[in-house]
Amino acid sequence: MDSRLANTWRLTVNEKKFIETALASDLRIDGRKPLEYRKLTINFGREDGSADVQLGHTHVMGFVSSQLVQPYRERPNEGTMSIFTEFSPMADPSFELGRPGESAIELGRIIDRGLRESRAVDMESLCVLAGKLVWAIRIDLHILDNGGNLVDAANVAALAALLTFRRPECSLGGDNGQEVVVHPPEVKDPLPLIVHHLPIAVTFGFFSTEYTMVVDPTHSEEAVMGGRMTVTVNASGDICAIQKAGGVGVPQSEIMRCLRLASDKAESITKNIKDAVEAFNTERMLRKIKRHSTAVAANVSIENDVKGQKDKLTAQRVNELSMSQMERLKLKPDESSISQNDGLGSEIRSSDQISNQRAEGNAPLFLGGPSSWDPHTQGVDPDFLKASLAAQGKSNPKAEQSSEDSDDDVAMQEKEVSEDVKPPSLATDSSETVEEQKTSIVKKTLKDAVKPKNRRRKKTRS
Amino acid sequence: METDRKDGRTPNQLRPLKCSRNILHRAHGSASWSQGETKVLAAVYGPKAGTKKNEDPEKACIEVIWKPKTGQIGKAEKECEMIMKKTIQSICLLTINPNTTTSVIVQVVNDDGALLPCAINAACAALVDAGIPLKHLAVAICCCVAEDGSVVLDPTKLEEQQMRGFAYLVFPNSALSALPEGSSLVNGEPLEHGIITSVTHGVMSVDEYLKCVDRGRAACAKLSSFLRNSLQKSQFPSDMSSKAA
Repeated sequence: MDSRLANTWRLTVNEKKFIETALASDLRIDGRKPLEYRKLTINFGREDGSADVQLGHTHVMGFVSSQLVQPYRERPNEGTMSIFTEFSPMADPSFELGRPGESAIELGRIIDRGLRESRAVDMESLCVLAGKLVWAIRIDLHILDNGGNLVDAANVAALAALLTFRRPECSLGGDNGQEVVVHPPEVKDPLPLIVHHLPIAVTFGFFSTEYTMVVDPTHSEEAVMGGRMTVTVNASGDICAIQKAGGVGVPQSEIMRCLRLASDKAESITKNIKDAVEAFNTERMLRKIKRHSTAVAANVSIENDVKGQKDKLTAQRVNELSMSQMERLKLKPDESSISQNDGLGSEIRSSDQISNQRAEGNAPLFLGGPSSWDPHTQGVDPDFLKASLAAQGKSNPKAEQSSEDSDDDVAMQEKEVSEDVKPPSLATDSSETVEEQKTSIVKKTLKDAVKPKNRRRKKTRS
Repeated sequence: METDRKDGRTPNQLRPLKCSRNILHRAHGSASWSQGETKVLAAVYGPKAGTKKNEDPEKACIEVIWKPKTGQIGKAEKECEMIMKKTIQSICLLTINPNTTTSVIVQVVNDDGALLPCAINAACAALVDAGIPLKHLAVAICCCVAEDGSVVLDPTKLEEQQMRGFAYLVFPNSALSALPEGSSLVNGEPLEHGIITSVTHGVMSVDEYLKCVDRGRAACAKLSSFLRNSLQKSQFPSDMSSKAA
């Protein structure tokens, strides 16, 4: 397409002047100070080794996968690591398919240098059979949205994905100990990678007017600036890499100042990454807890007999319902989003999706419930429940809600989930307001289960 | 026949659907669509000047770029691109902007079965988000045929591999129209009964295929209403303010 030139985006002279003038008074067009970093959000996918990073408007996804290969001849007992950067045409109209451009290659090289040469990832632990088989780690970085400063965001995505990646465990077997058996995740838990330290990249932009410097340039600032420098440094202050390819000349003092700033930023970003990974690991562990044979099942089974359902299924589903409810209670600071729910889970889903992946993990359990939901949630009479629960000696007037409460409580005790939004309410002494809210939320969500939005009744014809 | 599915769904039950629009800032239109664990992100840039070499300059040209999660782009990806391109071409009004190219970029975030239908749904939502003129929307679904001949909707990846055969079907979305009922009929049948695209894998008999089509069409009615509702809801205020150049 020869008319590509007509499609390239150029910053107007007015915008250029505006950005430079604003910088002279220490103002940036998105309201930040020159040395302020944008908000960093790290989310994880369901699988191990997939991370989604948003730095302001910049959006990058990282995926890590592994494969058994032959090692390099010079390094027979070390694994290999390769980074593939995809400047997806999605991110910017000027990104094209095909061979990566200069900036794509430069980005890949900076991240590669930061990870490989600083020995951040332990390669020797990836060796399975010296000289024959080692693990090759492949990091794919997809740039989805170019809002400026792709290097930093992609670096964080690569690190986050590496920290949450788990490789399958393998053991040597066979006649002469030369055969390698790779255990699937169901048999043996996969192992995390050994990461010694986290090299964080911090990018600075230099402008040709009076040695002005900004940290974390946005897309428009990148079009205006005269030079850039990326410093890869880890939390303990070790410099892993510095990249300054051409551009305006910068005095030594400025460079030293940049290095110090970078160390500070690296500390906060490292903390950010580690917190996010912690949360993901906790959630991953919670997901693994099997829920059949617990005291919760016993508790719920009393109601089950009354309802006449299969114990195991309902116990599971009610546990998961209560779990997902608790997740929702925690995740939704404003109940108004729930009250707007007119029976379509889509609204809640979309707001959750952008903010937190955890709700997604539990919501499918809830909405895509088994057919055992069908007959009973419709047919359960609140009065009937009241009678049955009164018989159990629960003094709570709201029957439905109390059953959910008791599940919540026991579920909470079982899983030790920390409640920061709503205090763990025991069925006996909870405040009225909390119960009110819970009732309204419970009522709404159960109605969701009833509404056949995502479920299809069997057609009577065919 | 009730086949016992691993996640407890009935054969006619779809996985939970999630759709969100306007998630990217540079793209003209973007949407993400997930069915259960399968998640696809689609972005639209359009219309750009000029068409590709072998394309008809009297019409608008659609370009689809499929980006897999990991790995090189191979023949399977090219096939998906081609199928999506033909599907989208049939729903777009191509004569409005002649000699232009609209690019649809699809990024696979997670693949857990029914990937191509998910991608088509995402692309449709992204086209709406970008404001590309369309004749009507399209909804896609995957129906598979189990060993015993029963039809199962919206399989997960494991289920897909165990089934005898499966079909990806794309139907037009039912249009809300002020016109009287008869005017949207094609050959006496309502518009929604037509099949835009059908791709099958594996072996199935003619009867089983027709059963798939019936079930799929009925399920697509639900998908249509979900798509329409999620597209009609107002944008989040944060997106409006952050939509920069």
